Amino acid sequence: MWSFILRNILQRLVLLIIVSFMAHSIIHLAPGEPSEVDPMNPRMKPEDIAKIRAAFHLDDPLHLQYYYWIRDLATGELKSFKDSQPVLPKIWDRFLNSLPLFVLATLLVWTWAFPTGIYGAVHRGSGYDRFTIFLAYALISIPGFFLSYLVILWVAGWLGVPVIGIKTFGMDQAQPIYRIMDRVWHLVIPSLMSALGGIAILSRYVRSQMLEVLGQDYVRTARAKGLEEDTVVYRHVLGNALLPFVTMFGLLLPGLIGGSVIFEQIFAWPGLGRLGYEAILSRDFPIIMTLNFIAAVLTLAGTFLSDILYAVVDPRIRLQ
Amino acid sequence: MLIKRLLLLVPLILVLFLLQSFFWVPTYEKQAVGNPGRLVTYIEGSSGDAKILNPILSADSASSNIVSQVFEGLLDLDENLNLRGRLAKEWTIRERAYLLVNAQHRFPDGQAVTGERLLMRIRAGLETGRLPDMPEMEQPLELLPATERQESVSLLVPDDSGRPQIVEVPIQVKVPERIAFSLKEVDQDLFDRLTPVLGERYFEHFPHHEFIKPRDTVAEDVQDLLRNKYDEILPVGEHNPVIVFVLRRGVTFHDGHPFEAADVKFTYEAIMNPRNLSPRTPDFEPIKTVEILDPHTVKIVYKRLYSPAINAWTMGILPEHLLNAEALAGEKDERRLSEAAREAFGMRDSRFNRHPVGTGRFRFVEWQGDEFIHLRRFEEHWESPPQYHDYYMRIIPDVLTQEVEFRTGAVDFYGALPHQVARYREDPTYQSFSSLGFAYSYIGYNNRKPLFANPEVRKALGMAINVEEITDFLLYGEGERITGPYPKNTEWYDQTIPPLPFDPEGAQAILGELGWKPNAKGWLEKDGQIFEFNLITNHGNPIRKNILTIAQNAWKKIGIKCNTQMFEWAVFLNDFVNTGDYDAVVLGWSMGIDPDLFQIWHSSQAGPQQLNFVGYHNPRVDELIVRIRREYDRDQQRELTHKLHRLIHEDQPYTFLYAPLSTRVLDKKIVLVEEGPDGREQYKKIYPIKSGDITFHFHKWRKLEFVPDF
Amino acid sequence: MNMTTPSAMPRVPAQETDALPEHETPWQEFLRIYKKDRLALGGFYVLIALLVLALGGKMLTEWWVVFDPETVRLPDKFLPPLAVPSEAVAGTDQPFGGVYLFGTDELGRDVFARMFQGSFVSLSVGFVAIGISLVVGIVLGGLSGYYGQVRLGIMTVDTLIMRFTDAMMCFPTFFLILTAVALLPPSIYTIMFIIGLTSWMGTARFVRAEFLALREQDFVMAAQALGLPEARIIFRHMVPNALAPVFVSATIGVATAILTESALSFLGFGVPPPYATWGNILSDGKGFIFDAPWLFFIPGIAIFVVVLAFNLVGEGLREALNPKLRRR
Repeated sequence: MWSFILRNILQRLVLLIIVSFMAHSIIHLAPGEPSEVDPMNPRMKPEDIAKIRAAFHLDDPLHLQYYYWIRDLATGELKSFKDSQPVLPKIWDRFLNSLPLFVLATLLVWTWAFPTGIYGAVHRGSGYDRFTIFLAYALISIPGFFLSYLVILWVAGWLGVPVIGIKTFGMDQAQPIYRIMDRVWHLVIPSLMSALGGIAILSRYVRSQMLEVLGQDYVRTARAKGLEEDTVVYRHVLGNALLPFVTMFGLLLPGLIGGSVIFEQIFAWPGLGRLGYEAILSRDFPIIMTLNFIAAVLTLAGTFLSDILYAVVDPRIRLQ
Repeated sequence: MLIKRLLLLVPLILVLFLLQSFFWVPTYEKQAVGNPGRLVTYIEGSSGDAKILNPILSADSASSNIVSQVFEGLLDLDENLNLRGRLAKEWTIRERAYLLVNAQHRFPDGQAVTGERLLMRIRAGLETGRLPDMPEMEQPLELLPATERQESVSLLVPDDSGRPQIVEVPIQVKVPERIAFSLKEVDQDLFDRLTPVLGERYFEHFPHHEFIKPRDTVAEDVQDLLRNKYDEILPVGEHNPVIVFVLRRGVTFHDGHPFEAADVKFTYEAIMNPRNLSPRTPDFEPIKTVEILDPHTVKIVYKRLYSPAINAWTMGILPEHLLNAEALAGEKDERRLSEAAREAFGMRDSRFNRHPVGTGRFRFVEWQGDEFIHLRRFEEHWESPPQYHDYYMRIIPDVLTQEVEFRTGAVDFYGALPHQVARYREDPTYQSFSSLGFAYSYIGYNNRKPLFANPEVRKALGMAINVEEITDFLLYGEGERITGPYPKNTEWYDQTIPPLPFDPEGAQAILGELGWKPNAKGWLEKDGQIFEFNLITNHGNPIRKNILTIAQNAWKKIGIKCNTQMFEWAVFLNDFVNTGDYDAVVLGWSMGIDPDLFQIWHSSQAGPQQLNFVGYHNPRVDELIVRIRREYDRDQQRELTHKLHRLIHEDQPYTFLYAPLSTRVLDKKIVLVEEGPDGREQYKKIYPIKSGDITFHFHKWRKLEFVPDF
Repeated sequence: MNMTTPSAMPRVPAQETDALPEHETPWQEFLRIYKKDRLALGGFYVLIALLVLALGGKMLTEWWVVFDPETVRLPDKFLPPLAVPSEAVAGTDQPFGGVYLFGTDELGRDVFARMFQGSFVSLSVGFVAIGISLVVGIVLGGLSGYYGQVRLGIMTVDTLIMRFTDAMMCFPTFFLILTAVALLPPSIYTIMFIIGLTSWMGTARFVRAEFLALREQDFVMAAQALGLPEARIIFRHMVPNALAPVFVSATIGVATAILTESALSFLGFGVPPPYATWGNILSDGKGFIFDAPWLFFIPGIAIFVVVLAFNLVGEGLREALNPKLRRR
């Protein structure tokens, strides 16, 4: 057991280094320069540009640049090109902004996907089932920003209530309860928008897992025993169908960084995705690299966690 | 079944909880009405966040915007674009000039030149009137003894891979005897006026190599590079313009510390400190010394004639006491940095850049990255605190959501696009302003390519494009036709030059005379080659993208095959513009207030990475450009710039398209508040000043509870 | 978003259940099940129509220019659908049929012609990208599944390929695509390649698992025993058997690719001009939602319908091909 875990961790560390080196190479080999090296500043002389390049180590060989990056990241003194501020606190701040959005979206996905999926499986082929299938696919087929705009225009235009940003401006004097609810409201629409696709996919998956288990012999046996249908479905079937979902908890982690760019952009949400997007635009290499690195760490940690979880919940699997 | 019920209840409760929050949120209406605080709060929507709130380090527009509220310069531009004193109460411009004694030269009468003789002859010339038109002297002429100085020159030496690297070469300079002139005003022709005394070619054969020596042995190629710099290191005739600023008394920074001459000197030194990597270095590079005469007087001596240099002092002044070596050392200790980081720590890393302290009308309060920046008014401002109590810059990246927030009143101002402005213009709740700014758009042709070498070809290409249609339909009238390289709202622009006509047939006729005849497929052809080229621009600018399409379409109609491509900015610059590897580009310039066009149009600036990337070359233009930048008299300058404008217009190195109007939309309730003669408040409509800026009187702005009628 | 490819879901290895009682070839059986699914069938017809449309678009806007998507008619900008050209437009610049079926855009170009042309480009972005992803996925997955035990120095082929696959999966997909698209020179091919090269991992894992299972099957064993050449075994016997689930995920992959392209367009990194895609017509149109709503709704709805059709067809295929769910 322990040797399995140890070997697993070791493997993942090697993988992490490969991933970060790949990311580093992609970013540095691509054409284009950090925007600080701004040759369009009319009065900038080649001497000045050379100075900036030297300060950012841009002329050093790739492996050296990689070493500087790792070293600075490890000591926590990695600085953004853009404003020379330390990278890690910057990412931490944005992480705190992204977190509520992510948590709420995940909650919505998981709480909604199960009832819809189960119901669809139990009443397979019914009108409801076909309707939810269609709805689910419709939801993942709409370009996210298209739907978001429609909703924003509707809420701002008809309801006359702000939806953009983290909170309403000028509420600093209001009572705490109002401020909290205001923040909650600003969370609702962006998290709903980013949850819709997830609900659709997960509920389809729940449905097929349920169908899988419903066809097993022991279900037939349980029914034959004369157990109530609800007991069969919710105790015997659901419990078994749940197994693979346990592992998905681990895989949720990396969702924190990827994918949210567009919604953060539309809803002016100062989160991680936008940090990354702005960094890409200005070629702020330290930020892009570090975000990629963190995403990789999260993915690896996530898969590791899911492997372990699976072993814990499924007695048929033995770690060796 | 409990599980069944839970599975249904949990999501329902979650959603109900979320939806009920709707009832706690104030509607847009409630935010705007019945909230007196909102009337004295100004919220601006910006699509990008600021980068760094330090006047000497910031270069992006969002940062400059905030910096201009928090910091003040010694000078600024008044309503008519003349310089006006801010932190400086007044200033004078004089000149100190030096003439080296060129011992190798002989006077016209054959006598060898020595210091004593030179001094005597010039003095005599001044007294007898042999030297006419000499400017007035402030002090008598002096003969300075020979001296020596040590310094180092930075040279760009290519390394093994051919990439230029900076090499600092220490040198020893022997300065021979010099004649010093102290002039009451700057005179670029001073040394020419001495010709009757000096004879011809006095300046041409000065033996620099005897006076400038590297202190260590250097390679031959470095020696060559050094030779190119001789005239810069030890000019035979040296002009040193001198500006003396008298500073305003009683000005304090936001933390209560008084503003003094030391802050000015510190700001200059911070910019020139290579570790700070200030993008402002080029503006301050012409400065030779900054001297504190007393706590409220600073003397700036310049290395050479460069009239636009004074404009640099509109830049914000930093507080020395918060950023000097001592303060930075304190911050290093507090942040417990490692040895390597301490070593590299500089002003760029300081927390000051996220918590700026200046002398401006607003003081900094809070900055939440990518969300907002909050400023509050500075009550002790030396002139007057602003009407607004709070200033927010909200970062809203998406144009459409910006518009939604603006229409609902959650944002007072955002950079509206022309088509949006066109809509607001008809709306009675808004006031809109359109005025010329300093920018213009053009199509630039690579003059080095044989296809575009002939000015007539470039003229024909320009005549094929209907610019009026672009300004009318693409810009909704928010643009004005231009004919040359200066901003249309400055006096440097010659308003009398007529624009190229829109005349596709005429264009075809011109090309026909040059041998371009339509072939079977309708494309123009000459010597078996069809008229075909690539037109490129940068990615991300919708108007340029549309111009690309319009130009392509217009040229297609006269038989020219134009292929269009867009590239991401960095790629666009590095692979095409900087290397000169392109045919034609759609681009724009954002000009300064000064009439200096050296970098964009002088033929010496056509190398890689330089701004005359179209490779324009005209000796007459070169000469004019140099004269303009050395001229300190405004009327003279104007005359020269008009000539320059006409020359460039005749050559058509660019097709000058239009100057976009800077368009702004505000709620009509926002007005200028002034104190009337009877001491009561008066309201005036906001108006743009000559630069096109409407925020010149921003400190007087306020939002009223009612819509005023004017 | 990173859950959109169903390929990421663990698939239960295909087991042969009871022997089939009826005389029905697998293909007939597949057709029977598929046809019962009305949604999937509807999606299928939409896709056929779309293919015809795309080919027509290519022909009628580029080879024989009946619908001209390029002509700029500034005086006619922002005309609503079904509007008639103004008098300022020259006779040669008139749209086909003398009417702007879908209105005009901010340069007075005919939106119908642009959508028509864009249908081909949008589809080819989806198909080429998924084609690339399939090729890479099948090759790597196949290598890993068939030659997995061959040792290369310190590790086996299987370890090498699967570690690389894992490494690729560590990148947040959309962020990776965005980084690559933003940093590389923008072109339609860059976008196709990048979408393709970032979406093959699921296919590779599939094919590997399928190959591992197939290797143990009797008919492969028999072929090996007969001494058939390896290439023949792989391409004649194994690939076709492993393809069915891959095909399902590819169908849905095309849908995802079209959506990804439109998301990139939204951020300004989509297919650059002169190519019109539905994605960039939509993202250009979003700025004019108050002035010319059709520029926003027409491409938006078009993308929605097409992506939905692909998804439904994919779903139908999955159901029809899933042996567990047959004959119920």
